[in-house]
Amino acid sequence: MTGLIAQRVKVPRILGALGIVGGITLFYYRIFTVNNVTVALSYLLAVLAVSTGWGVIEGLVASVASMLCFNFFFIPPIGTFTIADPQNWVALFAFVVTAVIASHLSASARKQAQESSQRQHEMEQLYTLSRNLLLLEVHGPLAQETANLIAKAFDVQGVAFYDRTSDRVHRAGPHDIPVDAAKLRDTALQATVFHDSATRTTVIPISLGGQPIGSLAIQGSQVSDTALHAIGNLTAITLERAHSQDVATRAEAAKQSEELKSTMLDALAHEFKTPLTPIKAAVTSMLTDTDMSPAHQELLRIIDEETDRLNLMLTEAIQMSRIEAGQLQLHRSAQSMSKIVNAQLEKLGESLDDRKITVDVPEKLPRVSVDPEFIGIVIWQLLSNALRYTPPGSPITIRAVAEETELIVSVEDVGPGISEKEQRKIFEKFYRGKDQREIIPGTGMGLTIAREIVRAHHGRIWVESEPGKGARFSFSVPRTQRES
Amino acid sequence: MTSARVLVVDDEPQIRRVMRATLVAKGYMVSTARNGEEALDKVREERFDLVLLDINMPGMGGMETCRIIRSQSDIPIVILSIRNAEKEKVEALDAGADDYVTKPFSMPELLARIRAALRRAPNTSAGTADLLNLGPTEINFAARRVTVAGEEVRLTPKEFDLLRYFASNPDVAIPHTKLLQAVWGPDYGEEVEYLRVFINQLRKKIEPDPSHPAFLLTEPWVGYRLNLPKE
Repeated sequence: MTGLIAQRVKVPRILGALGIVGGITLFYYRIFTVNNVTVALSYLLAVLAVSTGWGVIEGLVASVASMLCFNFFFIPPIGTFTIADPQNWVALFAFVVTAVIASHLSASARKQAQESSQRQHEMEQLYTLSRNLLLLEVHGPLAQETANLIAKAFDVQGVAFYDRTSDRVHRAGPHDIPVDAAKLRDTALQATVFHDSATRTTVIPISLGGQPIGSLAIQGSQVSDTALHAIGNLTAITLERAHSQDVATRAEAAKQSEELKSTMLDALAHEFKTPLTPIKAAVTSMLTDTDMSPAHQELLRIIDEETDRLNLMLTEAIQMSRIEAGQLQLHRSAQSMSKIVNAQLEKLGESLDDRKITVDVPEKLPRVSVDPEFIGIVIWQLLSNALRYTPPGSPITIRAVAEETELIVSVEDVGPGISEKEQRKIFEKFYRGKDQREIIPGTGMGLTIAREIVRAHHGRIWVESEPGKGARFSFSVPRTQRES
Repeated sequence: MTSARVLVVDDEPQIRRVMRATLVAKGYMVSTARNGEEALDKVREERFDLVLLDINMPGMGGMETCRIIRSQSDIPIVILSIRNAEKEKVEALDAGADDYVTKPFSMPELLARIRAALRRAPNTSAGTADLLNLGPTEINFAARRVTVAGEEVRLTPKEFDLLRYFASNPDVAIPHTKLLQAVWGPDYGEEVEYLRVFINQLRKKIEPDPSHPAFLLTEPWVGYRLNLPKE
């Protein structure tokens, strides 16, 4: 169809070219007689004008016609096409060369102008596209919107956009583009450009930082390769923006749900403590009655001890939930480790009665900037673990030494020890020693709580143990340069 | 032996029941209130020797109730709370509480704390004058009255006892533990934050410039010292 249009455009021009040549011939042959050089120059001007203005075909027609007319009407023998003089071959050659060169020059100039105006148009389109992509709402159907925007900005017949993350193809534009999902997937993976001139379809891969993230097919456009790649890059950036926002949103949601869980746990633990309070009060009140039979006293003691155990579990659950919700707020001040250790030993009270406890925590140790309440919890955890996991009557040693940059506190027992494999796990939440799980009560949170508290103090916590040879749990807190 | 009147304020009926049963068995006279508003009504109507106050209650909470009771009376207040963070203890003491017990508590411990709160340091101690002048502040130990520049200032019993202990041991550094045991009772000694709060309150009441105390001085790492003005 376009060929026909071109012909229709060309026929009047060719007739026009012939008309001009005819006009010149008529003018010099009938009206105004001049010498042959002037005639030849006039023909040359005509050929130049026609080929510059209309193109090479018209120029050639004009040059052949000029040569024929010049030969027939002006060169002797006049009235024949015989070329007697070799000079006339030169004239014909001049006409043809002029026609070809002039038309070529003007055509390429025209083409350049056309190209540069197309480039400018493309730049405008790209600008519009990038602006619209930037304004896109990232939480909406982004990939589809991107395809729509490309189709709209470049006024193409069809766009197909393949998003590798969701493995979906988004189509846009007035025509359904004849490219299937498999082709788009292949292009994305192989990172090669595919061009089908029959359907005037181009498929380009889209990647970001070397990672294929999709592909884009465009049909029926005069979009240059440069513009196509620019579109590809813009799309990549848009998708990446959406993905990173998505990741951030998900992380925020996960954090919020973690906080909610912690708040729930905290509330629940407090709720459970409420009924524990009258139970504890009642049972301890009854235990003060010395007239009771030993059997009843023993039963009451069991209630009392189990109440304490339940309370401890709830306390640990509350501490854990606080730590996990990131609410561990330290109130640091220069503290004497000896004081903190003694306070915890006092707290453990009667449960230490049958143990030989060696305390080697000199009062002269340098003070450390810690939160005494929380470091107290760490020491309490380590001590009560040693008490729980070692045979009754076995000795426990608590020691503190000042190193150059830190203060190290350790609790050592002569219990069954911990295998190397378990040593790696015991600080994890809810992990309970394999052999102890069923025998010794606990929540599996104690060491996790201790670890988090020590970490918040920028210290370390670790265990050294050999099965059968006891265990030594240690933690460190940094020494302050100069306490204020 | 005791017939002190105790007001138990708690929204949990079971706690009120167990407290009533135990305290009555120990010879106390017990009244109960379910929330802060009811407690304030009862305190206005009757005279109590001690208030046991829960913190977390619907309506007016324990903190606010404590503040209001303290603004009207110097009755000893013991807070009972599930929360055991130091921050909350200090907040309760700042609100005027005399002591803070964490739930769940053992009854013998609570009874000891109740006795400590009811206990008044003996009124006469050798070597203490009845009158003490600290700059513009005049303390009359016999009448339990304090005036600053002629204006009467109300001290709670614990604040007053603390001040009197200082007055009987002037110009020496008194360790935290010793102060706590002398004023609260033999079961105390670790509650350094109590001292911090009470000393601050005393400073606000009797020092001309509480942020730069001239009389109640901190002895770093040791305790506190009463600095008598030199004549």
